Amino acid sequence: MNISTADFWGYVGQMLDGAVVTIQLFMSGFTLALVFGVAIGIITLSRNIVIQAVWRVYASIIMGVPSLLIIFLLYYGGSAMLRGLFGNNLYVDVTPFGAGLAALTIVYAAYVAELVHGAVRNLPRGQFEACAALAIRPVSAWRHVIMPQLARLALPGLVNIWLIVLKDTPLVSLAGLNDLVANAKIAAGATKEPFVFFIAASLFFVVASALTMPLSNWLERRFARGLQRVKA
Amino acid sequence: MNALPIDPALAWESLPAMLRGLMTTVVVTVIVLALGLMLCVPVTLARMSRNPLLAWPAAVFVVFFRGAPLLILLYLVYYGFGQIEVLRDGPLWFIFGSAFACAVIGLTLNHVAFMVDVVRGSLEAVPAGLTEASAALGIPPRDTFRQIQLPLAMRYGLKAYQNEVVMFTKGTAVISVVTVIDLTAVANEVFELTYDPFTPMLTAGALYWCLVNLIRLGFRKLEAYLSRHHIAVEKQRQPASAGFTALAARWKLALSQKEQVL
Repeated sequence: MNISTADFWGYVGQMLDGAVVTIQLFMSGFTLALVFGVAIGIITLSRNIVIQAVWRVYASIIMGVPSLLIIFLLYYGGSAMLRGLFGNNLYVDVTPFGAGLAALTIVYAAYVAELVHGAVRNLPRGQFEACAALAIRPVSAWRHVIMPQLARLALPGLVNIWLIVLKDTPLVSLAGLNDLVANAKIAAGATKEPFVFFIAASLFFVVASALTMPLSNWLERRFARGLQRVKA
Repeated sequence: MNALPIDPALAWESLPAMLRGLMTTVVVTVIVLALGLMLCVPVTLARMSRNPLLAWPAAVFVVFFRGAPLLILLYLVYYGFGQIEVLRDGPLWFIFGSAFACAVIGLTLNHVAFMVDVVRGSLEAVPAGLTEASAALGIPPRDTFRQIQLPLAMRYGLKAYQNEVVMFTKGTAVISVVTVIDLTAVANEVFELTYDPFTPMLTAGALYWCLVNLIRLGFRKLEAYLSRHHIAVEKQRQPASAGFTALAARWKLALSQKEQVL
């Protein structure tokens, strides 16, 4: 390597700062997508024509358009959109982080909602009917009967979405966010050592996805704890 | 309140450039899909092989290229190839030096890694009893693979393959970072010229939407073709309401394969 050790560690420190930004964006994006996605998924179970129409259009757009384009759209047009919504005298500076967070939420909430629909479809009809027969109020029925089973059914898909969000997070660097990948690019350009810094950045993501495995296994055991006794 | 201000004149004016960008996106997609189909079978067989010398490198390949984001892979290929002297001074530099080839190579590495799991998942979904039965009937392993396992696996894996193709097609939007002028790059250029935040992105989005839904339509036709005998039986047996259950079952299959992927 033709760079001094001090320089090298400087770049490493910069990349670590970037990694923190990446993790923050990823965690907040995934959490918001999960919360909104579950809410949207439950609301759109309704047979109301208006709700169905809005949901179909939203889902179709999200599933048919690259997330990068939505990040750009929100970053370039975000402040104009907010002004359109809340009045012209409002001026908001849309940061890359804000635009990225909004884009990840909007995109992956649709995928989570779709997942909720699939899980509800896979849940035996009798569960709903039994709740009705026992006169359990809908709110309690959802909280204590339906949701715990949905969590189990939707978990594999949710882990999948988690991994996809993780790999979509670096796209926000193209809107100017100073995250891990942006800093890796700076370091690689300045030192002419692309392999060192880009492989280090990829290993961060590879390790992060690998760490998902034990977490998802633990969750799976936890959500299926009512089933294990039956199986044994 | 003013709805999204879209400038139809600008959209119309930029349409030829957008369509050229879309063409690039389509060409890249088709090349990578073809390369992926060719490369995924040997890598999958290596991954499933009992020989650790084959299985381990294939497993590492899959874990690395599936785990790393496409954006970094493109940077790695684009900026990395120039650092390898054998490549730079070699006779093939006109290939490795071009942004288009770098984009294709980066996308292919990622796509093949995903395809290995799609193919493996669908091959493993074929019931073992069928293989055993054909062995008992004295059918040679090669014919069993070609005539029994492969056609079934194709049908089982179609949904997962469709998901991967759609995901991947949308993923090609990043190739503009290595200076390939694809649809997203054109939209960005138009934005930088006009500072209209909505028109170029929405036009490009509409074109992507058409492309993705065309792919979905193609897969639906292919699926109907591959399971033509099944559909006839199902229609006979279940008049109307069973479509929902069938959908749920297929969705479950796609998921269980994804689960294995992890």
